[in-house]
Amino acid sequence: MTWGWCSAMVVVFAERSDDELFRQALSFARRLEDDQLHAVGIDDAGAYSPDGWAGALAQHVRERPPSAVVAPGSERGNEVLAHAAAQLDLPFAANCVSAAHGDPLTLTRVRWGGSLLEEARVHGSPALLTVAPHAVAADTAGIEVEPIRPAAQAKVRVSERLEALSAGVSLTDADVVVSGGRGVGSAEGFAVIEELAELLGGAVGCSRAVTSAGWRPHTDQVGQTGTRISPSLYIACGISGATQHMAGCRGAKKLLAINPDREASILASADYAVIGDLHEVVPAISAEIRRTRSG
Amino acid sequence: MSGTLFVTRVRLLADLVRGAAPAQRAQRSGDIGRRARNEATIVLGQRKLLQRVGPGLMHAFIFWGFLVLAPTIVIALIGVVDKHSTLPWLGHQGWYALLVDIFCVLVLGGVIAAVGIRKVQRPRRFEGSHLGEADLILAMIATIVISLLLWHATRIALHLNEWPASWSPVSNALSNLFGDNQATRVLERAFVWVHILTILTFLAYLPRSKHLHIFVAAINVWFGRTRAGGRLEPLKFDDPEIPEADLRFGAGKAPDLTWKQVLDTFSCTECGRCQDACPAFATGKVLSPKLVIMGLRDLVLAQDSDAPLVPAAVPAEMVWDCVTCGACVQACPVSIEHVDHIVDLRRHLVMVDADFPAESEPMLRDVERASNPWGRPQAERAEWAASLGITVLEPGDPAPEYLYWVGCASSFDERAQRTAQATAKLLRAAGVDFAILGPREGCTGDPARRIGNEYVFQAFAEQNVETLNQAGITKIVTGCPHCFNTLANEYPDFGGNYEVIHHSELLSTLVRDGRIKPDHAATEQITYHDSCYLARHNDVLEAPRQIVSAVGEAVEMRRSRKQTFCCGAGGAHMWMEERAKPINEERVREAAATGAGTLAVACPFCTVMLDDGVQGAGANLRVADVATLLSEAIDG
Repeated sequence: MTWGWCSAMVVVFAERSDDELFRQALSFARRLEDDQLHAVGIDDAGAYSPDGWAGALAQHVRERPPSAVVAPGSERGNEVLAHAAAQLDLPFAANCVSAAHGDPLTLTRVRWGGSLLEEARVHGSPALLTVAPHAVAADTAGIEVEPIRPAAQAKVRVSERLEALSAGVSLTDADVVVSGGRGVGSAEGFAVIEELAELLGGAVGCSRAVTSAGWRPHTDQVGQTGTRISPSLYIACGISGATQHMAGCRGAKKLLAINPDREASILASADYAVIGDLHEVVPAISAEIRRTRSG
Repeated sequence: MSGTLFVTRVRLLADLVRGAAPAQRAQRSGDIGRRARNEATIVLGQRKLLQRVGPGLMHAFIFWGFLVLAPTIVIALIGVVDKHSTLPWLGHQGWYALLVDIFCVLVLGGVIAAVGIRKVQRPRRFEGSHLGEADLILAMIATIVISLLLWHATRIALHLNEWPASWSPVSNALSNLFGDNQATRVLERAFVWVHILTILTFLAYLPRSKHLHIFVAAINVWFGRTRAGGRLEPLKFDDPEIPEADLRFGAGKAPDLTWKQVLDTFSCTECGRCQDACPAFATGKVLSPKLVIMGLRDLVLAQDSDAPLVPAAVPAEMVWDCVTCGACVQACPVSIEHVDHIVDLRRHLVMVDADFPAESEPMLRDVERASNPWGRPQAERAEWAASLGITVLEPGDPAPEYLYWVGCASSFDERAQRTAQATAKLLRAAGVDFAILGPREGCTGDPARRIGNEYVFQAFAEQNVETLNQAGITKIVTGCPHCFNTLANEYPDFGGNYEVIHHSELLSTLVRDGRIKPDHAATEQITYHDSCYLARHNDVLEAPRQIVSAVGEAVEMRRSRKQTFCCGAGGAHMWMEERAKPINEERVREAAATGAGTLAVACPFCTVMLDDGVQGAGANLRVADVATLLSEAIDG
């Protein structure tokens, strides 16, 4: 394998679930330099270390200088390339949507949370670039990935992984979220909510009134100062629908509201609604689901 | 020696003030008339101290005593040198001797009262203050005054008094303790020496203690804000005349503090009235405005220009607890402006360190991207007005008499939208010529500015000013006190000069003029909650009350008008999580205690926060804006 100075390199991280993002990055790199692409990956065996991984990448870049380094714009991609750029004293542009070789290299990248596209020139070679997630179609052809080892002397090491308090599906990933508000009445009252969530393979959420009352932890809170989610289905039980809460679940594809108050604000945003007491309605739904599944 | 100690210390303090960063000139000079009035009322008249009558009088006696007794220092200095001489003319005046006697007693009374407060009553506001220092100061004051009386008494006993003895009843009475003999002659010298030595020691100690306030306070009051209390000083990002190294992004280290801020820290007497007034402190949060100022003072005096102010002088929690309500500034007898300090600390944390509560990040992003803090599409901004027949001003339209600035909260929050709808209906019914900007109205930037992102705020200020100026707007009416404060007090810094009135002011004028006629079935008991940004920062107190009285029976809470207790939304807290006890529930309990059935407000933030508070506290109160109440009173 010869690595002329105009080869582009694509870096991939081994355990990433975002195989999708890697293939998008690959596609981006192909457009930049179809001819000489080289992919490297780091096998972390569970021990992620940003400066260690960056050190390995930087070493590789020093030994075999490419024309550019491309990586997926995932959290790790950005972090590792940022460290590598600092170690190599090279420029780094994140969240790019396109790039073209030239003197200097030009690129278009996403700024300000997605509201701006900026055209920029990169002075310095090689340029380190990450690809904005889901901005480029994924590559269909594959590529062989050369494994490289992280640098031995890493300053930062993952020492422990903490699981989120609510067992089961994470709130942000869940496709279905069953959420309870002040109407649930107590921490114990959430048992019916948890039951339905489990039956639907979803996560449990709540409104701020619930966390203020201490019935659920802050990690379950959906809203302006909590988590913003976009599930396929959001079931809001005993939640009035104040703006501060809706800011968190506005991304839901469908919203089902269960509320005894015909005037509740949430009904204006709901696709479906049941006017009734959640302590009767929710167990009834759970019972019906069980019946349908068994019979 | 005392003089040298005094002068060297004062020189250091003066250098620290002079070497500090510049504050904007316009706020600190000009308006001489009002500044002089402040000196007269706040300093001489002790107006702010007398907000609490007991301790206020205690201090007033000591302070006025100090003024009246000042010439006696000169008299004593002369007397130390020549036992037969005194000040020409004044030393012989009976009326002056009378005043001296009276004030010596008053000062002593004040000192005893102070000791009683500190040792017996032990109020919470002294938590964190240096009580030992205060004890020493009180002891020295007592010594000075007692030694003066005794010196006069011995002089009378020796027939050395230059003033008619009968004019100084206390000294005269005390003189009966002493005979005209050698022992008294010795005591006469002893008392005058004790008197002078105590004063000189005090002089040397003064600038090294919080007693420095006796000189600095008067200066600090002079330079305090005379108007636009709610206006924050803008940072200059793109002024070509400022060298890049001097650009200020708030206060990160001690040299970043402005001279007014340094002067503030030197003025603090650790009295704790700000701490008492602070809603965050009252609900169990870490923030104490007093400790913020004391912390900054200590770091400035340590002359450490490298330590980061947060956390070396002030813990981060304190910085974020603040709701910018200004109760501390209102309470401070020496015109310290705590909110400025806290916001400057926030500015540095947000813009340079990017270190701020994570839950507020979506708000900042949404303000930037979507021009409103809830991230709602601007196209929906006028949806609340659908079918109300209100004019939405398009570019090129002639300017209406009033632009009704709705604000993000009333545009998008369902509880606050009712206020906008009521206001619009009332204005239409009264035939007022007004229009709204609809989707062209962007966030005024208040939450961004209060959390410390001055950069985003200025971008929005410039944008909005351009929109308003191009539309030829001269008068603005708004229902939101935060928008009101920003439009009226802060937009002039960006070329926007408008006559801004609050919707309650316009509505109460319309009621007074008979253009709106409420059906006064007035049995409902209503208690009105003053919004901090309306009442304290902007002095709008009566107009909302006039509306309340027109539609029901008003009953006041104890903490009302300028002493109002915050709803908890200010300082961008609408977008932050809260620790300890919720401020809004605390306020709702106070409102419920009045026995009223309705809690009237004049602010969309207060509407939401207090309604949440009612549900959280389980109170039996209906929360409604004065416009809503008025609108219901004409519908029937």
